[in-house]
Amino acid sequence: MKNIRFHVNGKESNVQCPPAKTLLDVLREDLELIGSKECCGKGECGSCSVMIGDEVICSCLVLAGQIENETIITVEGVGLRENMDIVQEAFINEGATQCGYCTPGIIVAAKSFLNSIEHVPTTDEVKTALGGNLCRCTGYQKIIKAVQTAAKIQNPFYAVK
Amino acid sequence: MSIKVNNPIGKKHRQETSSDRFQWIGKRVPRIDGPEKVTGELQYMTDRSYPNMVWGKVLRAKYPHARITNIDTTQAKVLPGVICVLTYRDIPGFNGFGIVTPDQPVLCEDVVRCTADAVALVAAETNEIAEEALNLIQVDYEPLEVVADAEYAMTEQAPQLHPDGNIHSHVKINNGDVNQAFEEADYIFENTYYSPRQMHAFIETEGGWGMLEEDGVLTIQCPGQYAYRDRLQISRALGLNPESIHVISSPNGGAFGGKDEITVQIYLALLALHSGGRPVKIHLSREESVQAGMKRHPFKVQVKTAAKKDGTIIANQVRAVADTGAYASLGPAVIALAVEHACGPYKIPHVDIEGFCVYTNNGIAGAFRGFGVNQVCVGIETHLDMTAEKIGMDPIEIRKINAYRQGETSSIGHVVKSSVGTHQTLDKAQNCDLWVNRASYKKQPSEPWKKRGVAVATSFHGVGMGIGTPDYGAASIELLPDGRLKVAVGCEEIGTGNGTVYAQVCAEMLHCDMSDITVVQGDTSETLDGGTVTASRSIYTGSKAIATVAPQMIQLLAETAAEILHTPAKNMEIENSTVIDKKDPSNSLTFIEIYDYLSKAKASTKVNGHFYLPKEKEEIKGSGGAPHHIYGYMTHVVMVEVDTLTGETDVLRVVSIPDCGRVMNLQGLEGQTEGGAIMGIGYTLYEDVAIEEGYHKTKNFADYIFPTIRETPEIETIPVEDPEPTNPFGAKGIGEVVMIPIIPAIMSAIYDATGARVRHLPATPERIFEAMKPMNKSAPISSR
Repeated sequence: MKNIRFHVNGKESNVQCPPAKTLLDVLREDLELIGSKECCGKGECGSCSVMIGDEVICSCLVLAGQIENETIITVEGVGLRENMDIVQEAFINEGATQCGYCTPGIIVAAKSFLNSIEHVPTTDEVKTALGGNLCRCTGYQKIIKAVQTAAKIQNPFYAVK
Repeated sequence: MSIKVNNPIGKKHRQETSSDRFQWIGKRVPRIDGPEKVTGELQYMTDRSYPNMVWGKVLRAKYPHARITNIDTTQAKVLPGVICVLTYRDIPGFNGFGIVTPDQPVLCEDVVRCTADAVALVAAETNEIAEEALNLIQVDYEPLEVVADAEYAMTEQAPQLHPDGNIHSHVKINNGDVNQAFEEADYIFENTYYSPRQMHAFIETEGGWGMLEEDGVLTIQCPGQYAYRDRLQISRALGLNPESIHVISSPNGGAFGGKDEITVQIYLALLALHSGGRPVKIHLSREESVQAGMKRHPFKVQVKTAAKKDGTIIANQVRAVADTGAYASLGPAVIALAVEHACGPYKIPHVDIEGFCVYTNNGIAGAFRGFGVNQVCVGIETHLDMTAEKIGMDPIEIRKINAYRQGETSSIGHVVKSSVGTHQTLDKAQNCDLWVNRASYKKQPSEPWKKRGVAVATSFHGVGMGIGTPDYGAASIELLPDGRLKVAVGCEEIGTGNGTVYAQVCAEMLHCDMSDITVVQGDTSETLDGGTVTASRSIYTGSKAIATVAPQMIQLLAETAAEILHTPAKNMEIENSTVIDKKDPSNSLTFIEIYDYLSKAKASTKVNGHFYLPKEKEEIKGSGGAPHHIYGYMTHVVMVEVDTLTGETDVLRVVSIPDCGRVMNLQGLEGQTEGGAIMGIGYTLYEDVAIEEGYHKTKNFADYIFPTIRETPEIETIPVEDPEPTNPFGAKGIGEVVMIPIIPAIMSAIYDATGARVRHLPATPERIFEAMKPMNKSAPISSR
């Protein structure tokens, strides 16, 4: 057991756990942040995506010992129902979620991508940004649209590339 | 007493096709569960946890086919932290399950027939201890010959996997005289098509909770597609009264048919009886899900088609062999649907169709979106294109010549009485930009060595159960203390958004805002038995069930208000969650006031309604349940680009033209057409679970490629609305047909691009490259 200190969604967290426990299990079991999902457990699907700093990573591939002093944002940190982010509202309005199990990981990846750009992304840019997130329900088209819609709302003066 | 209500059920309303007269139905309403899904706040059942929980694990068979000579659990039982270890000896009731034939043991006793088989169960304090305990269970096996091929399984040499032999079912439809027709034919096309073992690949793997409550009720929380049938199958294995079991089966993190059969419900129930009242959780890893979960039936389909010079198809002969793996599950229904749909939505006068559902040791196959039609649609659609090319006819024209209209006789010989939208979908296809300008699009490949092709295909899919399977819809509506209405429908939320449509229908019928509606699905203590969320039936069934029960709620509200206000009930109208005396609008009561009154009088505020889905009267003898009464229809136009150097193929554009009757929610419909198109692309180009000699070579998503966002083409949806008269709103079904015609359309588009026909799916780069080789013979050879 090791005491690990890090920041999650703006709050400092202290967790006592084996250092080899995955970040995903720490989030879900120790911090009860169940938005991040396990689907493949091998970094293939992106359902467990979280931000560490500015980087989007699969939390099933990161161990607790690696996150000491890191700053982590999960889907819950992007927004909850009472303070939804633009990208979350866009996903609802564009119909970009179906069964919803992959959605938290996609929201995190989309938010990180939107943070990194200052224009309305092209379809190809969205495809590159979300290429690591699998969805079996939607066919992805409405996800692409939702990210573009969120970019337009985020800054109405953005240029459409 | 009669109460005048604005009830959309009625002949004069059925003829209207515009959705304008509705406030909610037909509108592009966002999903009601959207906010909790995009924020991650929705607790799926596999997300839950309990303070005193234990972990359950399943020991799967080591061999695909073997005799069990001994099972010794002694060492596992004494491992510290182990709560219980269970084998077949611990099953109090019937050791079997299976929707059609209960031939799958809950826990194997004397033989294992595939590596999905369960041999023992463990519950332990931690997941790790449970895993370790599995290693300590000693099972002695005598390996037996593995039956790895369905056609071999049908021979006399093959070991018999079940007492009645390896052919579980044989279904057929004969109509007319094919031999005579083949003699009269101008052209005959004869080919064999192979289809892949597609995996559902729902993002949430199988899992859930079992817990024995203090009052003796056994609660099973487990994603599923039919809570009441899951409960029945659990009760049989446990020897319990179903009433003492509470099944919660919604929401699902995806299902697609793969959670239609029992997954882990019975394991959870058995472990919960032996965990000292502590809740038991099972959640399969992806690897275990790949090995243990149902897959789509791989088919071998031989098709012989006779055509005349004028483009009419006069005969079609089909022999389909389906590999159902070790157990039947819904295999017999899948092959029956395949036979029913093998000749397409056409009026071919002479047909001879037969299908076999065959046992092997290749895992287990069961229900999957499309249910046998995906596998058989490629034969007739490809042969229509071959005929069209031979006689120089347009591919859409040849389909119009052969497609039946409402009131005409189908290939399987029944008069189609329900709505038929094929011709309208083909008209839309003919006029869509991609088809009209296809010559120009084909001239613009992204690289000089790539070639583009455009093709069309059409198909159909039954809605609801065929003949011989009971098919009821049911719903209840309850007035809540806060004046809101709770609508409960059995059909689970598996991702499709059916619950949003239920809220739309309830709001429409009860004249209130959608935000005043709460929807409950898939819960045996909350919802009535209204059948499965399968067979493209949940929108048709749920909407009709709510429309059946809504007048009762209107009556309850109006009569109660009348009683309180001393006004005749016939004067009462409902607007904005208020009952108003239309003769004196100042005389009104809110739903809350009505609830208070009923509550004080100890009267029920809940109403229930059932209906029976319309059926055909006569079954086609030997067909296993054909025909259906209602079908959804669909045409796809696609453009592909094939890399002639590698065989790699991209689908660039898809036009989806569904006829699902009235569109209840356009956003939801597009969700289905887009998701279905992508799943169809995966089926045609990428997906196949590799099993060799009974062992899964595919383990996880690293070696099971399905479409990512990068493979998403531009998908356009152009719905045709041919209202179905037996649904109060004109709705039919959409969930499955959306992934069907795209399969042969992609195959024909590859041909259009390259001249190569691939008949073995998935059409991998290797297979396309091989098929292109004869075309490249005249090409200059590298000088290297």
